[in-house]
Amino acid sequence: MNKVTASQFSAMLLLSDAFALFGFTGRMSLFTVGAFSFGIIIQFVLAMLLIRCGRTEGKAVKWFYMLYFVFWGGVLFNMQWRTSEAIYIPYESSNGIWGKLLISGLIALACLYISSEGIKAVSRASLIAAAVGAVYLLIVAVSAARNADIENLTRAESNMSFRNEFIRSIAMSGGLGGLSVLAGITKGSPYKAVEKYFIAKAVMTLLIMLTVILAVGGIMKITDFPTVTAAQVSQPFSAQRIDSLFLIVFVICGVFSIGVQVSASAYLLRELYPAFKHYSSSITLAVMLLTAFLISKTDIYGTFTAAAVILALLIVPVFTAIKNRVKAGA
Amino acid sequence: MNGELIPKLKDNISHIKQLSGNSSDLLVNEFVTGGVHCALLCCEGMVSTSVITELIFEPITAIEAKKDSKELFHYIKEELLLSTDRPEVNDYDTLFRLIDSGFAVLIAEGMRTALAFGVQGYQSRGVQEPSGEGNIMGAHEGFAETIRTSMSQIRRRLKTPELVMELMVKGEKSRTDICLCYMKDRVPQELLSRIKGSLDEIKLESILSTGYIRPFVESQRFELFSSNGTTERPDVLCSKLIEGRVGLLVDGVPYAIVIPRLFCESFQTLDDYAFKPYYATFIRWIKYMAFILSILLPSVYTAIVMHHPELLNSTLLMILVEAERKAPLSIMTESIGVLLMYEIIREAGVRLPKPMGGAVSIVSGLIIGDAAVQSGLISTPLLTMTALAVMSGLCVPELNPPITVLRFSFLIAGGIFGLFGISLLACAVLVNVCATEDYGFPYTAPVSPFKKSGMGDTAIRSGFRKMQNRGFTVEEYHE
Repeated sequence: MNKVTASQFSAMLLLSDAFALFGFTGRMSLFTVGAFSFGIIIQFVLAMLLIRCGRTEGKAVKWFYMLYFVFWGGVLFNMQWRTSEAIYIPYESSNGIWGKLLISGLIALACLYISSEGIKAVSRASLIAAAVGAVYLLIVAVSAARNADIENLTRAESNMSFRNEFIRSIAMSGGLGGLSVLAGITKGSPYKAVEKYFIAKAVMTLLIMLTVILAVGGIMKITDFPTVTAAQVSQPFSAQRIDSLFLIVFVICGVFSIGVQVSASAYLLRELYPAFKHYSSSITLAVMLLTAFLISKTDIYGTFTAAAVILALLIVPVFTAIKNRVKAGA
Repeated sequence: MNGELIPKLKDNISHIKQLSGNSSDLLVNEFVTGGVHCALLCCEGMVSTSVITELIFEPITAIEAKKDSKELFHYIKEELLLSTDRPEVNDYDTLFRLIDSGFAVLIAEGMRTALAFGVQGYQSRGVQEPSGEGNIMGAHEGFAETIRTSMSQIRRRLKTPELVMELMVKGEKSRTDICLCYMKDRVPQELLSRIKGSLDEIKLESILSTGYIRPFVESQRFELFSSNGTTERPDVLCSKLIEGRVGLLVDGVPYAIVIPRLFCESFQTLDDYAFKPYYATFIRWIKYMAFILSILLPSVYTAIVMHHPELLNSTLLMILVEAERKAPLSIMTESIGVLLMYEIIREAGVRLPKPMGGAVSIVSGLIIGDAAVQSGLISTPLLTMTALAVMSGLCVPELNPPITVLRFSFLIAGGIFGLFGISLLACAVLVNVCATEDYGFPYTAPVSPFKKSGMGDTAIRSGFRKMQNRGFTVEEYHE
């Protein structure tokens, strides 16, 4: 794999985080902001631990990460299905099963092409996509702030415990698993790259959450997708509604975050089984779609996903510790 | 044709005539000078008759008797100095190459070598103003078809021994002169050696335009945008050479290939450096915007009107509804029709003889356009959008081919799937553009990979006082 810069590294992971936040379901409050902030700190500590231990070249670890990327890709696909119910995608019966399949097929096709161009191209494109996304977010944030009601900050109430909000914050950070592959191919110090990414992630999370709370705090109880609703109620231009514009950023973030998972898992599949060299991306995508279908009835941001994320961050340090102990014993 | 020259003059001439297939344009002038039987060979139309008469025939025929042909050749070559360019010929291959390049070749009885004199005098188009890269405040001089003229145009602008021009011959049949230009103190050595390696792979029979060479010096993967560019301006090529790039001149083509080429450079013109920085920056952003508009305007218009009308304010929506209500076809069909019509008219305008160009403009612009709107076949807002998109594309002429194809692709994607389709296609195009690179130089630099130092001539146009200390070479972008 080719080298990526720290900015590209951050952009790839941030797009995945942004996509997860766009599909945020349920209520959002200052309590959620606190839990997510705490979650980011914990994730930062675990990420640093992962970087410190380096990459493990073992077959078992590669297998784990390959399955993890497939699982997280499936979660993202599933999230896209769920969120597309709140976003108008122009296709006849786009909310029906065939419409959903067609939309997923098109996204899968785009991801297949993206992953075929290699991680270097994806990382370069992610940086530009992240910049476009940042501009859009700022526009929405400014326009939402114009119509914001400061009382919404206290009006919005969470219906979850701190523990559950914290679990959700971890479960929504599945892109972090990519650290295991991306850190090894990042130019310069991986610590600095991770620091840069977490600062950007914290800023982005706070900006999105505060914008959402300020804009839709009053109607949080009746909102299924608060981030989507925030985009719908903020009116930066003299249009009737601008939520269709949100579709652009949603699709771009979705395609790139799924594309990164496809690239990473296909890369590991090629390493494990060179015979699959030409079909690695197609196989990975097919399994991802199947996974998305299988988990369609489950809580995708629940304990299971959070455990998978924690495992993805801890498996290398644990393996390294065991190895060191075995070496010391010998 | 690689055989050595036959020493017996009569046999030599017969053999040369036989090799040329008794071609009518091969001129053989037999004469005796210095007591030796000689013949001067040249190609009709390729040499200057007056130069041959004054500088070759007159001095040669005045030579006093010599001991033998060897002494005669020595005298002509070392003392007579008939022309500045006078290579020695030892085989028929070189002999024909030189004759076909406008040299006069002297053969003599008993000699296994021949003397060639550069007396080129073929008709060629002189130095003229570039047709596709016009500017206001810079030089109005473009490359010429004759490679030597183009080389001199570069040398006149870069009077430094660091400028190297390497001539080589490519094309089995055309034997086209190709000139590799670079600044030896600036060019990355790896880039230079890799380009030379790529040029060695050329096994074409003929090279008649830069398009024959460009595929050999770019990546083999499918790229929407080309990672090497062309210019018809010597001043532009010089600015690229100073930045450590490599230029390729092809004889018979008034364009130079620049390697590597970056995406942002398509928006830079020499005029940017003649105007004040604030104005140049403004113009540059106008061009970026024009590029986006040229690709996306028809598709976004179609997507919004067909699928996302809520994005429009009520007044605009009513105007569009009123206009589109009268049109019998769907907006997507209308848009594709208008764009296709434009492409047909454009192609006709390019290929037709110039005097008919005016007639084409009148027929297309006034008659077809006006009639289509009047009859209600096409709505006025759609025609306005299409015209604006087409005009915007002309702001960046170098990118016109990909813009044209992308405009259609986005239109179809937007027409069927609205902004969702446009976003999906945009992702794929963005990755394709980001994957484009030539010899390790990413096409999207300095935006991604981001290079702060490069933004001074990309996002803005810094003043020369700032840029003179930059010491920029393209190697900074190498990955």
